[in-house]
Amino acid sequence: MHKLGRGHRDKVQQFMTITGASEKIALQALKASDWHLEGAFDFFYSQPHIKSYTDTTRLEELYNRYKDPYTDMILVDGITLLCNDLQVDPQDIVMLVVSWHMKASTMCEYSKEEFFIGLQALGIDSLEKFRERIPFMRSELKDEQKFHEIYNFAFGWAKEKGQKSLALDTAIGMWQLLFAEKQWPLVDHWCQFLQARHNKAISRDTWSQLLEFARTIDPALSNYDAEGAWPYLIDEFVEYLNENGIIQNGQFSDRSQK
Amino acid sequence: MSAQKKKAFQIEAFKHRVVVDPKYAEKTWKILEHAIHEIYNHNASGLSFEELYRNAYNMVLHKFGEKLYSGLVTTMTSHLKEISSSIEAAQGGLFLDELNRKWAEHNKAMQMIRDILMYMDRTFIPNTHKTPVHELGLNLWRDVVIHSSAIQTRLQAILLENVRRERSGEVIDRGLMRSITKMLMDLGPSVYQDDFEKHFLEVSADFYRLESQDFIESCDCGEYLKKAERRLNEEIERVSHYLDAKSEVKITNVVEKEMIENHMHRLVQMENSGLVNMIVDEKNQDLGRMYCLFRRVPNGLVLVRDVMTSYIRDTGKQLVTDPERLKDPVDFVQHLLDLKDKYDKIITSAFSNDKTFQNALNSSFEYFMNLNSRSPEFISLFVDDKLRKGLRGVTEEDVELVLDKVMMLFRYLQEKDVFEKYYKQHLAKRLLSGKTVSEDAERSLIVKLKTECGYQFTSKLEGMFTDMKTSQDTMQGFNARHGTDIADGPMLSVQVLTTGSWPTQPITTCNLPAEIRGICEKFRNYYLGTHTGRRLSWQTNMGTADLKATFGKGQKHELNVSTYQMCVLMLFNNADRLSYNEIEQATEIPASDLKRCLQSLACVKGKNVLRKEPMSKDIADTDTFLFNDKFTSKFFKVKIGTVAAQRESEPENQETRQRVEEDRKPQIEAAIVRIMKARRVLDHNNIVAEVTKQLQSRFLPNPVVIKKRIESLIEREFLERDKSDRKLYRYLA
Repeated sequence: MHKLGRGHRDKVQQFMTITGASEKIALQALKASDWHLEGAFDFFYSQPHIKSYTDTTRLEELYNRYKDPYTDMILVDGITLLCNDLQVDPQDIVMLVVSWHMKASTMCEYSKEEFFIGLQALGIDSLEKFRERIPFMRSELKDEQKFHEIYNFAFGWAKEKGQKSLALDTAIGMWQLLFAEKQWPLVDHWCQFLQARHNKAISRDTWSQLLEFARTIDPALSNYDAEGAWPYLIDEFVEYLNENGIIQNGQFSDRSQK
Repeated sequence: MSAQKKKAFQIEAFKHRVVVDPKYAEKTWKILEHAIHEIYNHNASGLSFEELYRNAYNMVLHKFGEKLYSGLVTTMTSHLKEISSSIEAAQGGLFLDELNRKWAEHNKAMQMIRDILMYMDRTFIPNTHKTPVHELGLNLWRDVVIHSSAIQTRLQAILLENVRRERSGEVIDRGLMRSITKMLMDLGPSVYQDDFEKHFLEVSADFYRLESQDFIESCDCGEYLKKAERRLNEEIERVSHYLDAKSEVKITNVVEKEMIENHMHRLVQMENSGLVNMIVDEKNQDLGRMYCLFRRVPNGLVLVRDVMTSYIRDTGKQLVTDPERLKDPVDFVQHLLDLKDKYDKIITSAFSNDKTFQNALNSSFEYFMNLNSRSPEFISLFVDDKLRKGLRGVTEEDVELVLDKVMMLFRYLQEKDVFEKYYKQHLAKRLLSGKTVSEDAERSLIVKLKTECGYQFTSKLEGMFTDMKTSQDTMQGFNARHGTDIADGPMLSVQVLTTGSWPTQPITTCNLPAEIRGICEKFRNYYLGTHTGRRLSWQTNMGTADLKATFGKGQKHELNVSTYQMCVLMLFNNADRLSYNEIEQATEIPASDLKRCLQSLACVKGKNVLRKEPMSKDIADTDTFLFNDKFTSKFFKVKIGTVAAQRESEPENQETRQRVEEDRKPQIEAAIVRIMKARRVLDHNNIVAEVTKQLQSRFLPNPVVIKKRIESLIEREFLERDKSDRKLYRYLA
């Protein structure tokens, strides 16, 4: 604030009073509109409305409720409590979306910074607001672009720290969760195939390419191109489907063996 | 001077017309007409050339050329009609004779007439664009005589009949035929063609169609081809004797089509005598004939080549998948070489070294040789056998011949890196056991391999030779230094092997007998004293030893054994009987090697310097071994060590194959990185193609393996996928 000229400072004040936004947001909006108040308002209101004012003190309170007694992080117990408070199952996929907003680095723990970043981005500073946001977060999964980002985020988040690849069991769990949302018919066969034939960790490339595969190739594999530079694991999966008669003559017969 | 324009100088014609006697023309014509008659009646001698010429001249001069010309036409026509009748009247064989005679006469007459009418020919005729006399004579002959309804068909029929008779073996008057066909040609190219040639070709086609049908039912392939060749030559000869030269290619086409092209497939596939049988029985003459004849027809050679190729591929495939044949690798490879020789000979002598056939042969060999994944191993075993004993006493040139032939087979291999692996193993054994027939031959082969595959292929092999040489020098140095203090003990000879050059061996050691340990230590110290920063380990699984043994009744023998065998045997200096476990403990030889070693010492007839209790074939942990006092042998020197290269057992083969696959991975990765570094961005299919191209001189990479390597490189962040096009890869610097 001190570096700004008088006129600018006034505008920032005005902006903050009218919109209730934080100083940072005000500066952002005014810079974007070249210090015209009208334009800044347009800019502000065209943004997703979640950039509303969050009270840092209340965030601090919230954080302390869940934080682990011995470390400055929210760990498993804290997360469980949070889920209870939100009336959401800890396994619910919406928690993944929350973690995505937080840009959390690893599952089952949130650093203070991550917690703050995430909730501020969502415009949450109380449990009620948090609960209100949940339907919105669920809706984000329906957005193609966002789902893509969340999916790819999930790989880094779900894997062990310091590992390059994702353990198979974790991967399968994640896939089942994600594709319950996305509705990919072959997800069960894919998981069975991996358990039967692969038994090794999943590489990042395979993870991200699988989404492409699920999105672009139809379940009867009619548009699958063997020369399509798919990861070899996916090629093997196709072979597996053909061998076991799941895909016959370009028809997908859903004889799912549980 | 007139004021008008100057007029050009003029000559005026006579004001009066020169009146000529109207009957003059008629009279003159009559003279000439008479002359023409006389000429045709062979009475020309009584005529005066000068007078006739003058008369003709005058007629033309006085503008009676038209009368002269038309008179000529009429007169000649009527004469020719008479001639025509007389020819028609001729019977049977005399017809051609008569025609020929009359033709000659007509020509003579025409000459005379033209001479007489030369002035008209030179002036009136060109001015009025009429047909010149000579040509007129020909045309009239053609129209009146040749194309008269009676003569035309008859002429044609007789000519064709003559040809037919000649084809059936009769002798005909060729001179007469020649004259007649010449006549037709003189009358105009279309006359010869329309009146004779066209029908000649048709009739010939029918004739040969029938004949070939008849032959093909009654003859085998070789005989048929002989007959076809004969007919073809006959026709060529016929043309040269009495037909227009331009007819040659037309009639040969007819023969080729009817006799060869129409029966091509049937001939080639003919049972018991077709192409395949000819190849099997090496009927090179017949094959040569087939080549020459089939070359003349479209796709004839293609057919021959295709049938030959599939035959070679099928028999080759059978050969390489026949388990009986595969039992003896040396024999197998020799058989391949013999086959190649046979086909080469056929191509050289019968197919005039045709390059397309050479290529077909090469591609066939390449195809079936690579059907058997053990071909590289077998070729190396073949070479091993030759270099061990097969080439003993053979001249240098012959050695080169054999090696060149081996190189030829080597070129067909797709998996040259597998060959390299085996060759290294076999060469190591040869060098270490000192069993190579000729070092020159060994080096010669290395040079050939280097020329073919580049120095990287052979650098390690050359390293092995260098090691051998260096070891000799080392031993000299060792003996010079320690000569005196080791004179009483066992004699040691060491080959020092550089790890990278020699085939990788698992490091195995065993307990060397006490008698040996001393000198081995001395050597180690000597070597490490002269070379710093090196490590030595005894490869006890690769050495040999010569032992002097004395048996029960005092028979002395010299035993040539492996190092392991030596360790075992030396134990019996201090004990008469030992159990398996005791031996194992004392020598610390790995179990599988120990069992093999004991088996060769105790269970092989003629080499059983040990006795085993119980006397079973196999070695069990509970067995006991005794020194065999009663051992006898015809030879003083008994060879017991098993060092010769043999074809691998199945599990060994699997292992080698696995190692080869492992070796290929880094090579593929290196190729991918090289390519991506240069291209920066490339799509999947192109990478696969480029990698294959780069590596094909060593082996054929599997596209699936390439894909896995790409993924591994993505994982290790050498490459990444393009964000928008998932088939594109990018190089990450």
